[in-house]
Amino acid sequence: MDFDLSDEQQMLRDSAERYLRDNYNFETFRAIANEENAISESQWQAMAEMGWLLVELPEALGGLGCSFLETAVLVEELGRAMVLEPVMSTAVIGAHMLLQAGTPQQQALLGDLAAGKLRLALACEEAGGRYSLDADLVTRAEAVDGGYQLDGHKTVVLDAPSAHKLIVSASVGGELGLFLVDSDAEGVMLSSYPLINSARASDISFSGTRLDSSALLCAGAEATALLQEVCDRAVLAQAAMSLGAMEKVLDVCAEYLQTRQQFGQPIGKFQALQHRMSEMFVEVQASRSALYHGLAHIGAAAPERSVAMSQVKVTVAKAAHFVGAQGIQLHGGIGLTEEYPIGHYFRYFTFLEKSYGDRDYHLRNIAKSYRAAH
Amino acid sequence: MNFEFSADDEQFRQEVRDYLQSRVPEELRRRVYIKYNPPLREDLRYMLGALAEKGWSAPGLPIEYGGTDWSPLRKHIFLEEMYRIDALESAWGGLHMLAPVLVAFGSEAQKARFLPPTLNGEIYWCQGFSEPNAGSDLARLRTRAVLDGDHYVVNGQKIWTSDASIADWGFFLVRTDPDVKPQAGISFLLIKMDTPGVTVRPIPTIDGSSAALNEVFLDDVRVPKDQLVGEAGKGWTYAKYLLEKERTASAFLYYNKRELAKLKDIARSEQIDGVALIETPEFAARIADVEADMHALEWSVLRVLANEDNKYNLNAVISALKLRGSSMQQRVTQLYMDAMGRRALRCFPDHQDIAADDPFWPHYVPGRANTYFEWRASTIYGGTQEVQKNIIAKLQFGL
Repeated sequence: MDFDLSDEQQMLRDSAERYLRDNYNFETFRAIANEENAISESQWQAMAEMGWLLVELPEALGGLGCSFLETAVLVEELGRAMVLEPVMSTAVIGAHMLLQAGTPQQQALLGDLAAGKLRLALACEEAGGRYSLDADLVTRAEAVDGGYQLDGHKTVVLDAPSAHKLIVSASVGGELGLFLVDSDAEGVMLSSYPLINSARASDISFSGTRLDSSALLCAGAEATALLQEVCDRAVLAQAAMSLGAMEKVLDVCAEYLQTRQQFGQPIGKFQALQHRMSEMFVEVQASRSALYHGLAHIGAAAPERSVAMSQVKVTVAKAAHFVGAQGIQLHGGIGLTEEYPIGHYFRYFTFLEKSYGDRDYHLRNIAKSYRAAH
Repeated sequence: MNFEFSADDEQFRQEVRDYLQSRVPEELRRRVYIKYNPPLREDLRYMLGALAEKGWSAPGLPIEYGGTDWSPLRKHIFLEEMYRIDALESAWGGLHMLAPVLVAFGSEAQKARFLPPTLNGEIYWCQGFSEPNAGSDLARLRTRAVLDGDHYVVNGQKIWTSDASIADWGFFLVRTDPDVKPQAGISFLLIKMDTPGVTVRPIPTIDGSSAALNEVFLDDVRVPKDQLVGEAGKGWTYAKYLLEKERTASAFLYYNKRELAKLKDIARSEQIDGVALIETPEFAARIADVEADMHALEWSVLRVLANEDNKYNLNAVISALKLRGSSMQQRVTQLYMDAMGRRALRCFPDHQDIAADDPFWPHYVPGRANTYFEWRASTIYGGTQEVQKNIIAKLQFGL
């Protein structure tokens, strides 16, 4: 058992951390947040050039051939800087889906993806569901003319506005199917909006959208399993992002307590605030441990893996909420302003908690495993 | 990064599990389950004897002193298995605190005299540190030891001394020099509990124990000077050493996991409207919440045991572990009190048990309320929550 980074992991971490420290400060974040789709193409290209989109792609396909461990190292740094660019949707989720279930034709897209020319977004949630992945889907793909016709509606599709293609879950022949759809295909209508952390999402309607038969990624048990797998990956990746962000909040607060003066002294002299920092520190330590619990189980068989990811979320989301909220509290009034970073971190934690299943969803998921064990 | 135990370590786990299964009798396990506090001397002797047959009675000591060559991870596996089966973990004070100090700082004569009987349970130790006026502020302790010829004459009082009423010997922090900085005037002295002048007064506590905690009065107690460990004035250093030897112990991980397992047993058995508590959404969510944090706690312990290169200050990390572990003890016991509902009301003082076939009282009830009340102390002993937070603020953030 060994918790230290390998040399390669250390290099990946250091280079990502350095790049973001030098090129993605808070002002940059705010500027990108105000861009049309909350994405900077030049940042995206730089990220692609640094290999951030091909971490887990096999070397045979030009990737780094790494595992989720390296993804976790990278995305922790993205979280630290609250990076808005859709590395998660495109690489952690989308690329993985193409790799696992894509036809050779679909996998050929991975080259463009790695080069920063193709962005993906997973469209699986519907208005009636509550984070459920496999409930009766309204979105349906009818077999027609050797292809499919896609009709339906997806909601809060993260990173859809800047995506070139969508991976859409739809009911097909009575089963769950996953389809690769051009976001500008006929009949696809995006209604886009900012999220509370300045990321972008869309509600998407599909009206008679014609798909070639080659649009199908997979269906049935394979599709259900793949969807669960990428959502588990997303939950764990977001835990790593949370951790990076929490550590940043600790740093910002530690400095503030030493510099902000009230009542003739740095406010860090007051024990109540010292104890608050200590409590935040405890949450951060526990969160990294929870992340490791997740990393230890990301390769496990599906039911065990999912329960473990839910456990990670349960611990980390609570910790992040506390750290974020106290981050604001320790700053007083300026913690509420747009122009100061600390309030943005709280919004980021709020966004992270409510994506890919909120904390309650994950508590229910764990509870389900108690019934199964009975 | 590697999150697995080695195949050898897993084999070791199986070996420990099999051995304990074959050697720990049901009656002893039951006494551990209902938490005899203090434990029976004969149970301690039995356990230490059974473990000694495998050379396992003192995992923390070097092999030449009757210990093992186990890595920290092996010790972890051993403790997990001990707690899983309700085996009695070896006498804490003697084996985990005093023995390492003797090995590091004691004379050869002291090692020869005290280590073997400590390892086989013949000598049971209590720890005389805290005083009425020196709890959190332990350095201000006042129990005085004055050298008079070949003896130290000791006067003072200790409090919260665990198991003093059944102990044969105690290791005490005493003040040998009142004229220097407080920490520098403290010495580490071994006192036989039946020495004239030593009076033990049990303190009944709200967990139903009549003698788990005690006061120890020392009135002109004459202690042979060869019972001083190491050098006079170095007692504080030795005390810090013994605390550092067991960095992850304060997380009470194995206790915590065992109590969580008891909670789940209770929640499977107790019902609301015919539905097991563990299958009701509300209670299942509460258990899931604690269980998730328990996993994190376990990985926190493993990170320290595996010597992780943590970017944060290690002493602050240890304090965080204690904070988390002790609050976990309270969360878990709260949950099982809530799971028992009305059944939590009955008092089972001092070892009282129920018949195995009692029609009204399930086997899991005795000892639960006692542990719940006892563990209100978990956030107090070993450095209070508030002191731990001070430590983190100072060492990690320079506040």
